[in-house]
Amino acid sequence: MNKYINSEASQHVMKLLLLGANVQLVSGKMVYVKFTLENDIQVAYVYHINKKNKYFLERIKPYPLPIREFDTADEVIDIIQLDFHQYENAAKSRKIREFINLNKEMHSVMKSFEDLFLYYNIPEASLNSIKENVLKAKETILEASKSANRVFFEKDPENL
Amino acid sequence: MPTEHLIIGILIFVLSYATIVSEKINRTIVALLGAILMIVFQVLSQTEALQHIDFNTLGLLVGMMIIVNIIKRTGLFQFLAIYTAKKAKGNPIRILIYFSAITAVTSGLLDNVTTILLIVPVTLVVADSLKINPIPFIISEIMSANIGGAATLIGDPPNIMIGSFTGLGFLDFVINLAPLMFIIFIVNILIIKLIYKKSLIVDPKEQKKLMDLNPHKAITDRGLLIKSLIVLFFTIAGFTLAEFIGLESATIALFGASVLLLICKIEPEEILVDVEWATIFFFGGLFILVGALEVVGVISAMAEALLQITKGSVKITTIVILWTSSILSSFLDNIPYVATMIPLVDKMESLSAVDFSPVWWALSIGACLGGNGTIVGASANVVARGIVERDNRKLSFLSYMKIAYPLMVLSIVISTVYLLVFYL
Repeated sequence: MNKYINSEASQHVMKLLLLGANVQLVSGKMVYVKFTLENDIQVAYVYHINKKNKYFLERIKPYPLPIREFDTADEVIDIIQLDFHQYENAAKSRKIREFINLNKEMHSVMKSFEDLFLYYNIPEASLNSIKENVLKAKETILEASKSANRVFFEKDPENL
Repeated sequence: MPTEHLIIGILIFVLSYATIVSEKINRTIVALLGAILMIVFQVLSQTEALQHIDFNTLGLLVGMMIIVNIIKRTGLFQFLAIYTAKKAKGNPIRILIYFSAITAVTSGLLDNVTTILLIVPVTLVVADSLKINPIPFIISEIMSANIGGAATLIGDPPNIMIGSFTGLGFLDFVINLAPLMFIIFIVNILIIKLIYKKSLIVDPKEQKKLMDLNPHKAITDRGLLIKSLIVLFFTIAGFTLAEFIGLESATIALFGASVLLLICKIEPEEILVDVEWATIFFFGGLFILVGALEVVGVISAMAEALLQITKGSVKITTIVILWTSSILSSFLDNIPYVATMIPLVDKMESLSAVDFSPVWWALSIGACLGGNGTIVGASANVVARGIVERDNRKLSFLSYMKIAYPLMVLSIVISTVYLLVFYL
């Protein structure tokens, strides 16, 4: 099987090189991690271990979120543990499903926005209107955090 | 030798062989298990078993695999493919001929499976760029790999085994087989050209796109490419001079591999992990299985029976071996077949006391070219089909066979004439 993967990779490399890309093949192991919470909500991660001692970790469930590159395996495990604890705690809330659905909706909005600027020439006024609404949503989130009780203390929030 | 050992030995061998042929269980597992069972049931001792493993064959295979694993990282094949496709001005028939020629030459210097693993992916990319069906190219490349591989000592595993056992060197193979393989390649390519001439049509726009590609972009590591080609050159030179400098081919291949590992600045683990260890263990198991048959006297009995049938005539034996080998190898894995035939031919040679070299050449030609007959006839064919299928295309048994089998038979007819004229 290894020889077929190598042969397929060599096709990809050739096609990408001809497109003008700089391509590097990094051998390693892909680790797929899955937790199932009590209410059947799944939290999953994927990360890549390679000989360059760089670990690329990404959360793929309940919604995709690129996390970042880490230098040691311990850091990756710690981040997974912390992220999972956050979900474990959040899952106690009756509003967890609504929260996840709303988050998915926000991701969908981001994708629509990307299509908008990749496929259309948008007038300044429309762009300003979108910006205004985004800032409003951000403000609403900030206000909600101020008026609500904090329930997770293992780490401080990074974005609020 | 107790009768029960003879019966158990034959039983284990036949069962192992049948399972390998059926492809129901991985061939390496079967060969290893069969070999170990021979020792467990005391058909032969562990010491005897190890003595039957041809470490020269294994060393040569490992050495060449290491060298190739390093060369393939340089982008050489991608460069060659784009360069020749541009030289052919995007004309598909010319590309087919050029790619087949590259395959045949490379296959003489590297083993067939490796050649196919290098040439087929780039062929798929070029065919994709031209928006044409890659299957005619792949069929021609499979056949060219088997033809080119038959021309040298290191080109095809059956030749490695025959060379290692008989002491026939790189030059012996080139002098005796390369002219024949050159003729067969030309005939083959002319017929393939006639078959596909009308079906390979390319849109001039796609041809223009191909002409815009820059082959130099494909070279990923120029320094490594130069080092690898220098080492490959000296390794091949070493093979040609092996008998004069008194070194075995495995020593030369492993010396080349070690030097390249030393100067390539790549972690050895990364290179060694890509060595096809399953193939190496398969060979090891097979050598023990066949060795057990030798120990219990089956090979001697078969050799005597065959000599009675052919009445000791080298001419008849050569022709029988050539045709039997080609027909069997077109449906069965030629490696276990040749592993079994080597001690058999050796025994016949010792019993008949005449020059048996035509028989050895017949065995090599039949086993290598026979593999061209069907898509399961040789490991290179199976691997090519695997790559094509991963690309969501189909290369069926029948669609391959209807083109390849008649061409294989024609190549054996040419070989028969060649052997009759020059050796018998």
